Amino acid sequence: MGMHTLDLTVNGETVSTSVPARRLLADFLREDLHLTGTKRGCETGICGACTVLVDGQPLKSCLSLAVMASGCEVRTVEGLREGETLQRLQESFVRCAGLQCGYCTPGMLMSACALLEANPQPTADEVRAALGGNLCRCTGYTQIVESVLDAAGRRDGD
Amino acid sequence: MHEFDFLEPATLAEASRMADDLGDGVRFIAGGTALVLTLRQRMVRPSHLISLGRIDSLRGIDVGPDGGLRIGALTRHAEIAGHAHVRAHWPMLAGMAARLANPQVRNQGTIGGNLCYADPATDPPACLLALGARVVLASHRGTRELALEDFLVDYYETALGQDELLQEIRLPALPPGARGVYARFLRTAAEHRPLATVATVVQVEGDVCTRARIAVGAAVPVAQRLPSAEAELAGFAITRERIEHCAANAAATLSPLDDARGSADYRQAMVRVQLLRSLGDAFGLERT
Amino acid sequence: MSESTLGRDTPQVNARSKVLGRALYAGDIQLPGMLHGKVLRSPHARARIRSIDTRAARALPGVKAVVTGDDAPGTRWGVSHKDRHILAKGQVRFCGEEVAAVAAVSEDIALDALDLIRVEYEEEPALLDPELALADGAAQVHAGHDNVSHRIRYHRGDVDAALAQAAVVHEARYSTHPQYAGYLEPMATVAMLDADGRLQVWASTQSVFLARARLAAALEWPVSRIRVTAPTVGGGFGAKIIEDANTLVAALLALRAGRPVRLVNSRIEDFLGSCSSLPERIDLALGMTREGLIVAKDVRILADCGAYSGLCAEVMHVSAMRSDNMHRLANVRCDATLAYTNNPPHGAFRGFGGTQMLFALNSHIDTMAGLLGLDPVEIHRRNAIGRGETSVHGWHIGSTGLQECMDQCTAAIGWAERRARPRGSGTLRRGVGMATAMHVSGNRTIGNWDGSTVVVKVNEDGRVVVHCAEGDMGQGAMTMLAQVVAHELDLPIDHVHVATPDTDVAPFCIGSLASRVTIVSGNAAIVAARRARDTLLEAASALLQAPAAELELAAGKVRVRADHARTRSLAEVVRQHIWRHGGEGVHVSGTWDAQTRMFDQDLMGNIAPGYSFAAQAVEVEVDTQTGQVRLLQSFVSDDCGKALNPMAVHGQSNGAAAQAVGWTLYEQMRYENGRLVNGNFADYTMPTAESLPELRSGIVESDEPNGPHGAKGASETAILPGAAAIANAVHHAIGVRIRDLPITPEKVLAALAGSGRTEPDHA
Repeated sequence: MGMHTLDLTVNGETVSTSVPARRLLADFLREDLHLTGTKRGCETGICGACTVLVDGQPLKSCLSLAVMASGCEVRTVEGLREGETLQRLQESFVRCAGLQCGYCTPGMLMSACALLEANPQPTADEVRAALGGNLCRCTGYTQIVESVLDAAGRRDGD
Repeated sequence: MHEFDFLEPATLAEASRMADDLGDGVRFIAGGTALVLTLRQRMVRPSHLISLGRIDSLRGIDVGPDGGLRIGALTRHAEIAGHAHVRAHWPMLAGMAARLANPQVRNQGTIGGNLCYADPATDPPACLLALGARVVLASHRGTRELALEDFLVDYYETALGQDELLQEIRLPALPPGARGVYARFLRTAAEHRPLATVATVVQVEGDVCTRARIAVGAAVPVAQRLPSAEAELAGFAITRERIEHCAANAAATLSPLDDARGSADYRQAMVRVQLLRSLGDAFGLERT
Repeated sequence: MSESTLGRDTPQVNARSKVLGRALYAGDIQLPGMLHGKVLRSPHARARIRSIDTRAARALPGVKAVVTGDDAPGTRWGVSHKDRHILAKGQVRFCGEEVAAVAAVSEDIALDALDLIRVEYEEEPALLDPELALADGAAQVHAGHDNVSHRIRYHRGDVDAALAQAAVVHEARYSTHPQYAGYLEPMATVAMLDADGRLQVWASTQSVFLARARLAAALEWPVSRIRVTAPTVGGGFGAKIIEDANTLVAALLALRAGRPVRLVNSRIEDFLGSCSSLPERIDLALGMTREGLIVAKDVRILADCGAYSGLCAEVMHVSAMRSDNMHRLANVRCDATLAYTNNPPHGAFRGFGGTQMLFALNSHIDTMAGLLGLDPVEIHRRNAIGRGETSVHGWHIGSTGLQECMDQCTAAIGWAERRARPRGSGTLRRGVGMATAMHVSGNRTIGNWDGSTVVVKVNEDGRVVVHCAEGDMGQGAMTMLAQVVAHELDLPIDHVHVATPDTDVAPFCIGSLASRVTIVSGNAAIVAARRARDTLLEAASALLQAPAAELELAAGKVRVRADHARTRSLAEVVRQHIWRHGGEGVHVSGTWDAQTRMFDQDLMGNIAPGYSFAAQAVEVEVDTQTGQVRLLQSFVSDDCGKALNPMAVHGQSNGAAAQAVGWTLYEQMRYENGRLVNGNFADYTMPTAESLPELRSGIVESDEPNGPHGAKGASETAILPGAAAIANAVHHAIGVRIRDLPITPEKVLAALAGSGRTEPDHA
């Protein structure tokens, strides 16, 4: 049961290392790379707090082995790049109270980021569908949806 | 989870031989959404995981000269949902793939992985059964083709041999004018897994149904066609009374699951309700 | 005030750290040499522990400590009843109880070690029904006394006489089920023995001081050897106040291993190890006049606290008493019993016992409205206690906006028009329902003190640090404190830093519970900030050559009121203070103690400085073929006295409403022989974004005289009316009354089948 080489890009930086096969992508990001923005909240792949972007697609990093992300481009909430979608979303969430305790927020931001990159002008229903894999217990979702629409440049949706 | 070795064969034959050589302690892993959960819950202890990720021959969606569809086993649900040809010609399939589970799982899970894991509380089986799906199983010894109903053997059990992989799913071309309706019934709006799935594909000439394929999943241990229900429709003029009768009889033939997620009675009742609604939609009758 | 954010939408002061993914929660903390803890839990609801063999676990490479009940101190911990050890000693009383724990170099190795621990149990028949637990001859959950954990009885006026004279009397039984708190961040603790032999603890908690006290008691240590800090806390909702063992086990492992230990509950562990809300069976009888005035109220409650009592006695107390104070009652009687069983322990959850009783009461009023031919809103209006009145239990109502809440929420959903709509006969039927609620802002009954102390430091750059450990688990307490202090000192809010709650540094506090922090700590922050202002003006007086009374603070400076050209920066003034006061900086504290009364032996006494109110109106659509209830719209109106931060109040109202919907329609903890079988988010289904409509909320400002700038608490009240509003709407839609939560599709179908035909419309 040896280690496996792992070469991937995380937030634009090349990472070359080796990991045990059973290391989850979520734990690799959090424990090995110290990118603790990605959270773990359940064991059944439901809560979505672990959502990251892999080659631009949101997926649950707790349902993925780190070795399965080899050769991929991974983006986490820490992958802030000036002027890009993620930053606009972060500002909107702050401004529109799209967060309270903040634990679900990184996952929400990554799912919302993927949504806006594919669909820059979503309706409120499309936002809710895109966030269907992210649980929040604090907000009741209303202000999260408002935040995403705010970032999309429209406050009231359709 | 427990420790294991992670192997990455480049070809299907290589993957199959590995499974043969290493014996019982191996599992194939595709998207991982189901298997990683099982590993994390420490319910299985494979010595080796054989990743299919490098086997490109398992990818891709193609249309055959006869108009049939070939879907590689590693195709992700999101790819099926977004594929232009599938959306245009198999809207029921695209619609099902667009709504199953949640966005992240749709990006990560594969249609082949779903069928091989054979969890009944998922969407693809009933939908594919109603579309007449066949599967191609491959090993280093060759390939064989099965009807999907023969591949899905039982609750979490398929016809895969120890060294076999699911290679692709084949759908025959739909005849022109065929209408398909796929419905997933969730017990409440907050549920993540369907309690019943109902798929209907019908053809009509005038007000007479010429063909009907009906499949039910999730409510039963393994998704199944409903031939007796189909026989009540094919060749008959379609009226509200007929489809009500059909739905009631179809539900009555089932042996539904009974567990913490829902009783057998409720599952049976919901199959009846949903099948009636789906047939109504498929035949263009107004909902009451 | 140029810089003040009071009354304006204000983003959380730590929102940036959260959206950047930099905020550290307990499970994110990584210390050199840190070990990972895992807990072995009982698979049985009731059993004797015959033996525990940990040799194989200890021998596993990477395992650094294994502890069992033998390693835990003998002192029991608990809330009012000290009935629990850190790890079970000799017997287990619920399925999930902590039996042993491991600290290892990785979580995977710790889990492997758990598998190697051999526990020999002798199973015993478990008591799972509170009624059976109270029956004669029932086995004792705790040896040496019967299974009554608590009992509350009171009688005001003459209920029987009043019932006999009432125009209408209605009696019914209601039952409510436990709700799992479901915060996204599972309970987590990092514990470490520092170089001086003190225990340093980072805990996801609503109260660092209660955590410290709990640790001191359970470890048999003086509190001063323990320091508890709260990192960013990912939700609490009442279940992270005082009842969890996570922090205690982490500490025990850290002491045993001699290395830092991080103990993070997995989600299933959190389902098992945290307290779900208190399930209650409520028998309610109300007598009313023909005009709908309540003349008598008779309540019997049977509640199941599970194996350990936690906060359940206090919760049941709220269920029993609190709603009496909403109405002008003279005749009220209550007999409430809390029983021990071998079910997993229940405890505090948002609403603190209010949701259970208000489900019953609001359903009951709706039913009686039908019997009397009145609009239920009218009955609520006629009975609502008014501003300046004193309730039957001696509560002084300083402010109430309940009438306005009712106006607002019913108008928002189109109540009148929808009530008048004839009940449909199609498959899909719509209905509307409403409910009202009352809650406290503060509560003296928790320990006969309900004050808070805030420390304000003004640094040599003129910026401020606030120390107040009351706890922010996402509701925005830190932001409120920053707003209040910034307002008093006329500083921009980002010049006011609210420090992390830390028992070594902050003044003693009770914590974030009973919706107390805005009113109690907000007031303390005003006292402290004004003291700081006075200190600054005094120091500036010498610099500006003017008496302090002629000076004022404005936009980061001190200036002469009559001549704005004469100013000094706060930085200069602070440095002045230091030079002139022997090195003492501007470091002041302010205390505010609610002038309330602990109740006497007759349970009379004004126990809170403010009382908050809410009303909710909803519209549902029932599918009569599937039994499913779909929430079409919901509007919660919250009387928070004054919204210091409207955006935050809306957030609390929406979040609370969502939890109420979950409790009513989507969530249910399922047990088999006392074992939770759906302890995961796939099978315990909390509301998702797609399962809720756009929840809407409104604010009513009744201006509480005791509140900082008129503010009261705003976070729990809004969860209270939801269940009844939905149940009432279902009744309006299909004429069936579900009294036993949750409202499931199966119950709706069964009720429809049982009723044969729907009930005739009432006004």
